[in-house]
Amino acid sequence: MRLNKEWTIKGIAMAVTGTILVLAGIAFAQHRNFKEEVVLGPGVTTVRTLGDYFAPLKGGPNDANVFILGSGEPGGTMLVLGASHPEEPATSLTAHLLVENATVEQGKLIVVIHSNPSASTVTRPGDAYPRFFHIETDWGVKRFRMGDRWANPLDSWPDPETYVHFPSGQLLAYMDVRNLNRTWPGRANGSLAEQTCYAFMRLIEAEGVDLVIDLHEAELEYPIIGTIVAHQNGLRIAAMASMTLTAEEFRIGMEISPLALHGLSHREIGDHSNAPAFLAETPQPFLDRVRGITDESLLLTGKDEFVMKAGEHGLLYWPIDEDGWPIDVRVGRHCSTILSIAGFWTMFNRSKPLVVTGVPRYADVVAEGVGRFFADPRGARAQVVLE
Amino acid sequence: MYIHAGIVLGVIVLVFALARFLKLSTELAMLGAALAGLIVHGLVVPSRELVGAFAWFEVPRHIVDGAFTYFDVVLIFLTATLFMNLLKDAGGVAYIVRGIVRRFHRHRALALLFLTVVMLIPGALTGSGTVTVLVVGALVGTVLAYMGVSEVRVTAIVFMCAAMSAAAPPINLWAMMAAAGSNMPYVGFFLPLGVLSVLGALFSMFYLGWKGTPIDLEQIMTELPKPPRGMRWWKVVVPFVVLFGLIAAGRVWPWAMPVLGLPLMFMIAAAIVVLTNLGQLRLIKVISDTVEQLLPLVGVMVVVGILVQVMALSGARGLISLGIVTMPLVAIFATLFIILPVSEGLIQYAVAPLIGVPLILLFNMKGFNPIIALAGMAAMWPIGDMLPPTSVVGRATVMILGFKGRYYSGFAKTCLVPAAFVLLLGSLFVVFSSRLGFLVGG
Repeated sequence: MRLNKEWTIKGIAMAVTGTILVLAGIAFAQHRNFKEEVVLGPGVTTVRTLGDYFAPLKGGPNDANVFILGSGEPGGTMLVLGASHPEEPATSLTAHLLVENATVEQGKLIVVIHSNPSASTVTRPGDAYPRFFHIETDWGVKRFRMGDRWANPLDSWPDPETYVHFPSGQLLAYMDVRNLNRTWPGRANGSLAEQTCYAFMRLIEAEGVDLVIDLHEAELEYPIIGTIVAHQNGLRIAAMASMTLTAEEFRIGMEISPLALHGLSHREIGDHSNAPAFLAETPQPFLDRVRGITDESLLLTGKDEFVMKAGEHGLLYWPIDEDGWPIDVRVGRHCSTILSIAGFWTMFNRSKPLVVTGVPRYADVVAEGVGRFFADPRGARAQVVLE
Repeated sequence: MYIHAGIVLGVIVLVFALARFLKLSTELAMLGAALAGLIVHGLVVPSRELVGAFAWFEVPRHIVDGAFTYFDVVLIFLTATLFMNLLKDAGGVAYIVRGIVRRFHRHRALALLFLTVVMLIPGALTGSGTVTVLVVGALVGTVLAYMGVSEVRVTAIVFMCAAMSAAAPPINLWAMMAAAGSNMPYVGFFLPLGVLSVLGALFSMFYLGWKGTPIDLEQIMTELPKPPRGMRWWKVVVPFVVLFGLIAAGRVWPWAMPVLGLPLMFMIAAAIVVLTNLGQLRLIKVISDTVEQLLPLVGVMVVVGILVQVMALSGARGLISLGIVTMPLVAIFATLFIILPVSEGLIQYAVAPLIGVPLILLFNMKGFNPIIALAGMAAMWPIGDMLPPTSVVGRATVMILGFKGRYYSGFAKTCLVPAAFVLLLGSLFVVFSSRLGFLVGG
């Protein structure tokens, strides 16, 4: 009798566990296999993938789409990296918006929407991130993947006991071997993230990239926020962009890339290529450790009482009020920052002009909403690339 | 938001307490608390902008996602214990213990010093106190017992040294995670962490292990289990050489050595034990016993992950975090010795990003040296590994040494003085961090 009871309990536990595993498995598979639809804008001349620049990546999890927007006119070449950290969605949305809207009059613009695609197929265990987020558009709701800071362990595992950065030898936390903004300039035979950075460095060489902008978002508890971090080769441009944007559109700071902090795009790309690198940060309360309910609402509105309370205690490096930091504001800031950097590049490099049009500025995105700038993939003449 | 997070937190605490009252195991009580918290969150979540009602379809995903939070650590537990259990089954542990006793029986201080070094190495290389307990805990414990140290003191020494080994450089996971979270390079921690962990381990070993009986070599050699006839020194040394060699190779040639991961390294070492003792091991039994032995520990790690996920989802985690960082600075300093170990006992390594990052950013903002302050905190966290609900290293120590006494009034109470020493030292490092900047060496 006692044996039967034990087996009944075990049987029920097994059935419940099995059901949970199946349902969770379906959810994980939906997230991992979901593809975002990118409608090629009028400026896109070629779509390549990262594997075209470093063959071992071809067909793999990080064979990211590389959208090239050419003008046919000589000029400078700018590379914009979205979603180095896919848990910072204003970055991929901005890059997505560029691909669908930008036209290049002079020079060339290269855009990568998901720079570490593997990291966009997983959320962070223990942090309860939503799997997707949704943006209202003129033609319906557009769905996007929410991701993590690190590449998916299904694609890059195991981690070493400690991550030794190449080539500096600096020690970093073990999981940062999967962090795209700690693995620059990369290694041909390294981890997935290191190989991805290596491929980007080959892209920079092959396409003659003159400047790189790496888009990010940061928690308000973090000192490097609401700013442009620039390699020493790009200080003049960053300083001018910061001053002009602050005077005309929104407050944004400027920081010099620390010499001793290795693996980051703004340090290593500048050190290992001719292209000055800039890292643009917007505020994202969703990433704060003191945040309240973790859901899509917080991700998109940036409103959080707990983060506000931390601000009242002077614990934040960036202000927050009842209006939060909505996704439109964050995408708008990135749009204007990119346009401003491109403008000052042209001012300081007359022989290599870079003229980008069709991209809304901060005020436009805030007024109309980011969804206004996404085309209907079911539209009659829409050319769609799956991302 | 405050009310919602408070309700969820209250339900979690209440269900956990109730389940323990009803004599459910810690793992099941925590699982019940986490699931109750998740359901209550779904039922009472306030209306939120842009999103509809709570998506119940996400519940299984949150459970499984959370369960995998400490997956890597669980694999290390399983493989490290299997390795040591195979070595024990082969008679290797008995062989080593006899060797140490024979060599050091005349010099108590030297013996204690040697045992401290032995205890510090595995955790220093892997960042895990549990690995220390599982790899060398039984061995050191046996030697100490034969040196006349009482059972409860042996258990306390093994735990305290294991905790300090996890704090020891070069790998301190708390410091690494908090540094990564606050975008600080993990540089300059070697000396402050080294000073803290070595002092803490030496104090624990000598305070608890100095008093004992002189070693009667003849009697001990008679009493100690004899290794099997075929046992040779190289059969014991080779698996350890391979294990530590693989770990060291990853550091010496980081860009040439393929990344194996600690679980595979332990499995390779275990395979060598099997190959060098062919036909003498009860392989299936040892594997089966290892899994059974570790089931409670693994269960806790899995369930803690689910609990952390539910707390993050509902805002309960944020509420705790906010409560700590909004305390006045003096109050933070005065209570760090409680907050850090207790939070470690609650959520293990997740404490580093949860509390460590806001605290370190706060200290940095107030002009304290963030490296020294973080090193101080990173030496205090491991003490919490003996505290409930997880008690991971404490439970592993008690389990591996077969300690039969009372957990709190026996083992934990014996740890109090050395633990207080480490917590005081750590607190002083935090408070006077700006004056200890000279320790930021490498």
